[in-house]
Amino acid sequence: MISRKKKELLRMGLQSLLGYPMRTVLTMLGVVFGVGSVIAMLALGAGAEKELLQEIGRLGIQNIIINSVEPDQPENNSSSGSSSRRGWINYYGLKFKDHRQIVETIPGIERVLPVHLSKKKAWNGSRWVESTLFAVEPDYFEVFGLEIASGRALSPQDEEDLARVCVVRSGLLQELGIYEDPIGYVLTIEDQKFTIVGVLSEDRFQGYAQKALVADARSSEIYIPYQTVLKRQGTRSFSGSAGSWEATDVELNQIVVEVENLDQVILTSRTIENLLSRNHPEKDYEMIVPLEVLAQRRKTQQVFNIALVAIASISLLVGGIGIANIMLATVTERTREIGVRRALGAQKRHIIAQFLTETTTISILGGVLGIFLGFGLVQILVIFTGWTAVITPISIMVALTISVAVGITSGIYPARRAAALDPISALRHQ
Amino acid sequence: MPQPIISLEGIHKYYGEVEPRLHVLKGIHLDVTQGEFVSIMGTSGSGKSTLLNLLGCLDVPTEGSYLLGGKDVSQQSDDELSRIRNEDIGFIFQSFQLIPQLTVLENVQVPLLYGESSIREKEEHCRSILDSVGLSHRLSHRPSQLSGGECQRVAIARSLVNDPLILLADEPTGNLDSKTGQEVLELMDSLHGDGRTIIMITHDQEVALRAQRQVRIHDGLVIEEAS
Ligand SMILES: Nc1ncnc2c1ncn2[C@@H]1O[C@H](COP(=O)(O)OP(=O)(O)OP(=O)(O)O)[C@@H](O)[C@H]1O
Ligand SMILES: [Mg+2]
Repeated sequence: MISRKKKELLRMGLQSLLGYPMRTVLTMLGVVFGVGSVIAMLALGAGAEKELLQEIGRLGIQNIIINSVEPDQPENNSSSGSSSRRGWINYYGLKFKDHRQIVETIPGIERVLPVHLSKKKAWNGSRWVESTLFAVEPDYFEVFGLEIASGRALSPQDEEDLARVCVVRSGLLQELGIYEDPIGYVLTIEDQKFTIVGVLSEDRFQGYAQKALVADARSSEIYIPYQTVLKRQGTRSFSGSAGSWEATDVELNQIVVEVENLDQVILTSRTIENLLSRNHPEKDYEMIVPLEVLAQRRKTQQVFNIALVAIASISLLVGGIGIANIMLATVTERTREIGVRRALGAQKRHIIAQFLTETTTISILGGVLGIFLGFGLVQILVIFTGWTAVITPISIMVALTISVAVGITSGIYPARRAAALDPISALRHQ
Repeated sequence: MPQPIISLEGIHKYYGEVEPRLHVLKGIHLDVTQGEFVSIMGTSGSGKSTLLNLLGCLDVPTEGSYLLGGKDVSQQSDDELSRIRNEDIGFIFQSFQLIPQLTVLENVQVPLLYGESSIREKEEHCRSILDSVGLSHRLSHRPSQLSGGECQRVAIARSLVNDPLILLADEPTGNLDSKTGQEVLELMDSLHGDGRTIIMITHDQEVALRAQRQVRIHDGLVIEEAS
């Protein structure tokens, strides 16, 4: 019974809106644009976050990456602390010992992968490329999600055989002028011959992932079995030009730790940090915890998102003020109607309900249209800018909630003004 | 002597908050019994509308008591007064006071919105009332599409919807030419014939004479005219 009464009052409120269709539409526009831009901003924010997640996710959210870094003044002879120099050999970075200790003492670890790097010239006939040789264990590809475009990845058998095989990026093939089927092709690296067994697809080497992987933009990485490098070449590398030469000895350039449980990643990284800082007072390493990076970048992104939405909300606020403004004018214009309704038995709350019905209807309708507008805006932005945008169900709910709130808050003052009118003078109003 | 449906005792009405306040009604006594048709006359500014507003519970007297159907309504809350207006009182105004964006039928239904019974239930009732005032062919017209006389008949239909105790009319023919005025008055006569209690303000002696009882407001008091 009560609810039917409410329905009738609601219908009466809607009739008034239909009585002034043009004004209703114009009043609605503010909310339409406001909600539209809020939706678009939320979608862009969510899109940026998704991209971030993908980019950093490539590094493996469960991984901890430790890179060797050359200490600040490697040329400096004054031996400070544990000497980082042996004669003229530049000796720094992660050691086999670090790798062993991590494997032996840190709990909750799935895999620990050693990586050694060396700069070598790779030859194809008379063409050559300054390439980076990655000595990696077979799991390396899986841990970083590096996809093999053709051929195969390195295998445990390669390790055992100390096989002279390699996996390359497709970019390298182009630089070396290899256009036919690269599988089985033989490259000369320094003075040794390596057979190409696999080619990596390129799409994994972008943005933040590239830096953490120590990959470079020239795509000249060559992956070879860890044991092959270690047993056949050792870790020392020479570079020299007429007269003088320099040697670098970095046992391990990178250690990749894969943690068993996602919620143990941060804790494990702290334990490893402890261990390494004891072994390396000179700090010749850096740790990258993708999960942590993600959290930080996310925080920044979220601040940015809030700023975006706040700006968009200003137009929504203006829309709300528009509704309040029109409603106040409406109250004046319809003073007589209010007087009539009061004379016919409307209580103050009926009058309030009537005006609030009108404003919330305007703003909800505006909100729904705004959501469509938002979808359109997002489509256009995506087409013209190529940005990623994601419209989440939550953003739609947020938009609708906000528009209801706008309707109620912008209606409350005009509605109370209307209800406070004295019926007799309202009836006499011209 | 039957119980009066309206009973005013020592009604005073002052306007304004600061002295000198305007003393419009100065101790009015008036009883109206069920089924009476009373006309109120008086010079402009004598307080006719003031009295009618009090009778219609749009306003409350500064002093005195007002019993409507045996119930004291002189000091009620705003919500309570709204309910009394809705259930017990039917208003007919000089300027019709229809709501312009609503149709004839919807205008007649407005009082139902604020009462207990639902519009759907009373739809037939509304149609038959509109039929009885001769407007069954105009249900979905807007007030702007009607003549003055038709508007006033819609207003009369609206005043009857909740079957009120009394009908209050403030110069119902004031905005009409004499012919349509006559039609409206005939409608009032027939309502009186149906046993309705009607109180009508008018300037026109002839109109006043259609009522069975005439009173005049003079110097803030009610004077009965001998008919
Ligand atoms: N709200 C008000 N505030 C102050 N004075 C008022 C108010 N309403 C009416 N008055 C005054 O009270 C007196 C009586 O007014 P009322 O409207 O009752 O007269 P009336 O008899 O209906 O006159 P008319 O025949 O012109 O309609 C007038 O002097 C008027 O100016
Ligand atoms: Mg008057």
